[in-house]
Amino acid sequence: MRQEISIWFFCGVLLLSYGLVIFVEGIWELFHPLANPPVLYNLHAAIWWGAFLWISGLTYTLKFRPRRS
Amino acid sequence: MDRLIGFSNLLAAVPTAHQLTHLNGVDILIIVIYFAIVIFIGFYLKGASTTSEEFFMAGREMTAWIAGLSFVSANLGSLELMGWAAAAYQYGILATHWYWIGAIPAMLFLGIVMMPFYYISKTHSVPGYLHLRYGEGARALSAITFAAMTVLMSGINMYSMALVMKVVLGWDLNFSIWVSSVTVAAYVALGGLRSAIYNEVLQFILIWVGALLVPILGLIEVGGWSNLQARIVTNLGRTDYVHLWSTLGHFSSNPMGVHWTGIVFGLGFVVSFGYWTTDFLVVQRVLSADNIRSARLAPIIGAAFKMAVPFIVILPGLLAITVLPFHLVGESVAVATGQHSYNEALPLMLVRYCSPGLLGLGVTALIAGFMSGMAGNVSAFSTVWTYDIYGAFLNRKATDKHYVAMGRWSTLVGVMISIGTAYLVQNAPSIMDYVQALFSFFIAPLFGTVILGMLWKRATKQAGFWGLLAGTLTSIGLWAWVRLDPSALRYVALSPDAKDMAENMYRALWAWIACVIVTVVISYMTAPRPVEELEGLVYGVSPLPEEHDEHWYQRPVVWAGVVFGLFIVLNVIFW
Repeated sequence: MRQEISIWFFCGVLLLSYGLVIFVEGIWELFHPLANPPVLYNLHAAIWWGAFLWISGLTYTLKFRPRRS
Repeated sequence: MDRLIGFSNLLAAVPTAHQLTHLNGVDILIIVIYFAIVIFIGFYLKGASTTSEEFFMAGREMTAWIAGLSFVSANLGSLELMGWAAAAYQYGILATHWYWIGAIPAMLFLGIVMMPFYYISKTHSVPGYLHLRYGEGARALSAITFAAMTVLMSGINMYSMALVMKVVLGWDLNFSIWVSSVTVAAYVALGGLRSAIYNEVLQFILIWVGALLVPILGLIEVGGWSNLQARIVTNLGRTDYVHLWSTLGHFSSNPMGVHWTGIVFGLGFVVSFGYWTTDFLVVQRVLSADNIRSARLAPIIGAAFKMAVPFIVILPGLLAITVLPFHLVGESVAVATGQHSYNEALPLMLVRYCSPGLLGLGVTALIAGFMSGMAGNVSAFSTVWTYDIYGAFLNRKATDKHYVAMGRWSTLVGVMISIGTAYLVQNAPSIMDYVQALFSFFIAPLFGTVILGMLWKRATKQAGFWGLLAGTLTSIGLWAWVRLDPSALRYVALSPDAKDMAENMYRALWAWIACVIVTVVISYMTAPRPVEELEGLVYGVSPLPEEHDEHWYQRPVVWAGVVFGLFIVLNVIFW
């Protein structure tokens, strides 16, 4: 019997998905720079923020994944 | 409480011809992922909301962390975020008072003093507590006004949010209104309070990860907090934008036109305590806690996070003063001249720093903030309607299954009334000001009625009803007086230099005092209730259940002390 899915698992999945999308977009922009970049674009916030979200999301997804009880 | 004042600036907004930015495919993907997860949660939790206790109270199974984050998230609407970022641009760091003294003491008071009575009385709502303590009259008055005002406010929030999406992204008003409200209706009607709470926690996380980059990158750009302060002083040629307390000695010595007595007694005591301890929209989240210890800890956890919110709201407003290459203006000037308004401060900062993907995350945070506020409104409306109006006066003997069905239908009806209000406001914008004012009339007196009921066993049924009514009428009377004769503001707010903010605070203070005086006088004129009837409702009448913590540092009161200590330190630092 499966236990109820924790809210923290949902949070993990959301952050994991967002981290992946934003990180990949940041890497893409390394090779295809924007024509109209935002301020401080040189800091590549999409890469490190995306990586942070991805790692946080992965941690929560694994820690709170539904298990059989 | 703060959302009422916070988005008042936004309400005068009208659609402008330009849009700030547009989203690309990655941004759209971010938004679609969010909606997919939110809807999935609603369907997933449908099976866990089959009894009234599950549907309206989330089965009273929420942990302290979930109840605490939901408690603060229900208040953290996107209009609150943008409204207070705008206020920070307009008034400086003074806007932080609505997050600190205007919230923290009241939240801690709720957790330490009031929560045990709400919890052990097993009430399902604040009007429900009034019923147990004062009888049907006070319950009917508070339930009807709360239910009506909640759905109207929800509609106004909805319209204002759609307007923001039009200004920022060029989205059609109808599209924004219908997509967001149908989504909220679906997940609240399906999963009840549990679904609303789950989504509020999700939205709270999203708001932080979506908005946190702006202050981080902003501080990097200006070279830290000290440089930011120096640049604000240089740009504006005045120092009162960067001090919390030192400019409050006189109404005319600060940009907000307020006095420290109004901030401390009006905002910090009456308005704040009224909102955070008696507005069922937020109290309902804490009532869902799984035991009394969680119920006491939840507001304390919420207070800790609330104290950090100025970092993602006030700081972007202050940064906008220094980094934007143009000046923001009031709505009427913005409409007439095509300039950007104060209310665009936060979206402008998002656009300034966020590349594709990050921009989608920021916009999703705004949408999430809006939806959490709306879900809070409709779930609270559904509960009060079903328990305190329908179940109390229209159909007392229905089955539990019937009440759950009524809860689902009233959720849908609440959303439809909200949508109707949104379209009504679109055609008659002045309605917004009146509804806002109406909502504010009930908060301060309700706090007087509830706190006397909890702490004073002599308060009687008749006194509860007439005190609440007297306080409400006092508030309405003072409001009408200033509208008819603007010079009356000097009497209501005690100074000819007072401005609108000061009026709100002092009006609340007078309404609360009127409520308390009438309640006390009528209590002494009427027969008291037998003490045995007050068991579990009033301080000193029945012992509170003992909590057994293994260690001293696990006690809620210790953590409340830690949060309050930090609150004092922050106020001193930014004095």
